[in-house]
Amino acid sequence: MFIRQIFLALLGASAGFIVSGGVFTVLISVGLIPRFAGKMHIARHIFALEEMVVLGTLAGDFFSVFSDYGKLGEWVVSNQLFGRGETEAVWQAIGNVLLILFGIFSGIFVGCLALAIAEMLNTIPIFARRIGFRHGLGLAILAVALGKLTGSLIYFTQAVYLYG
Amino acid sequence: MSTNNVTLYLKAEQNVELQSEDVYVKDIGKMTCSDEHILAKVKTLKLHHFKEGEPKRQVISILKVIAEIEKTFPNVTVENLGEIDVLVEQINVNRHKGPVQMVKIVFVSLISFFGTAFTIMAFHNDIGINEVFTKVYEMVMGQSSDGYSILELSYSIGLAVGIITFFNHIGGRRITKDPTPIEVEMRVYESDVNKALIETADREGKMLDVH
Repeated sequence: MFIRQIFLALLGASAGFIVSGGVFTVLISVGLIPRFAGKMHIARHIFALEEMVVLGTLAGDFFSVFSDYGKLGEWVVSNQLFGRGETEAVWQAIGNVLLILFGIFSGIFVGCLALAIAEMLNTIPIFARRIGFRHGLGLAILAVALGKLTGSLIYFTQAVYLYG
Repeated sequence: MSTNNVTLYLKAEQNVELQSEDVYVKDIGKMTCSDEHILAKVKTLKLHHFKEGEPKRQVISILKVIAEIEKTFPNVTVENLGEIDVLVEQINVNRHKGPVQMVKIVFVSLISFFGTAFTIMAFHNDIGINEVFTKVYEMVMGQSSDGYSILELSYSIGLAVGIITFFNHIGGRRITKDPTPIEVEMRVYESDVNKALIETADREGKMLDVH
């Protein structure tokens, strides 16, 4: 029994090690965070950004692997942290703020990631060259953004995820 | 001034940032010359002036620099050992200070935090990590797990160790002296941007060059 536990521990640790290597190689090679830092002129604080990448990943890992322990709202409400009877209303507000924060910032990240990957594969320059596209690149980018927005809204409102 | 020919060695940089409105030869890189007197004079030659309301960015071709130097000092031969185009940017000293920068750092930090949290959750969801772990546990232990097992715990520890090894620092302290991957990417990105700006200036004819 004990040996099997050790085996499981080794298996898990190795899996985690390799997964972090794989996931972060992709993340680094699209060069998203250097670009954020360059755009915002905060390259000197790149350490802080890396710390946030590490912490964000660990938080995401906790909430998806140990999802039963990550039920924050249920815990707050069952312990009545903000006073008896009022906790539901208060947490409703706080929870919404947390959801908005998560939604907006992860949305920005995924939006940048999607275009960064498209750019890494040189899709846009190659296509632009093939069709002799010289002016209006800004308009094309705007169209891409609007297309993503429309697609995302259709996906969620029409419940596309239910039928795959 | 001596009448003998002297050689001035110049090592131009790809990108320089200035606070003053005037660009002198000394700003575009390092240089050395056997004649100290000429060296000091060459360094104070003016190359460009940033006017009010004009873009604070100028690409200067090394040919222009050489032409300027040789116009004033005909007996000086210039040898450039560095970059052939220099991107000069005028920056405001107090532009990057104060609460605005703090807000930017917090903004990018939040994107990095929630973005990566979302990415790893989406990845786990994609591969159905909990089903995989349940299967592996059953295969190894011969019985289904009650709740969470050592597998999930060690996976999370492995993930943390992997990231920290990858990024090479923990809590603001470097583990080894190597630059971190994002620092390397940052330099690559900066150099790419400089090259693109120089190329664009060349193509649009906005480079300060000889004709």
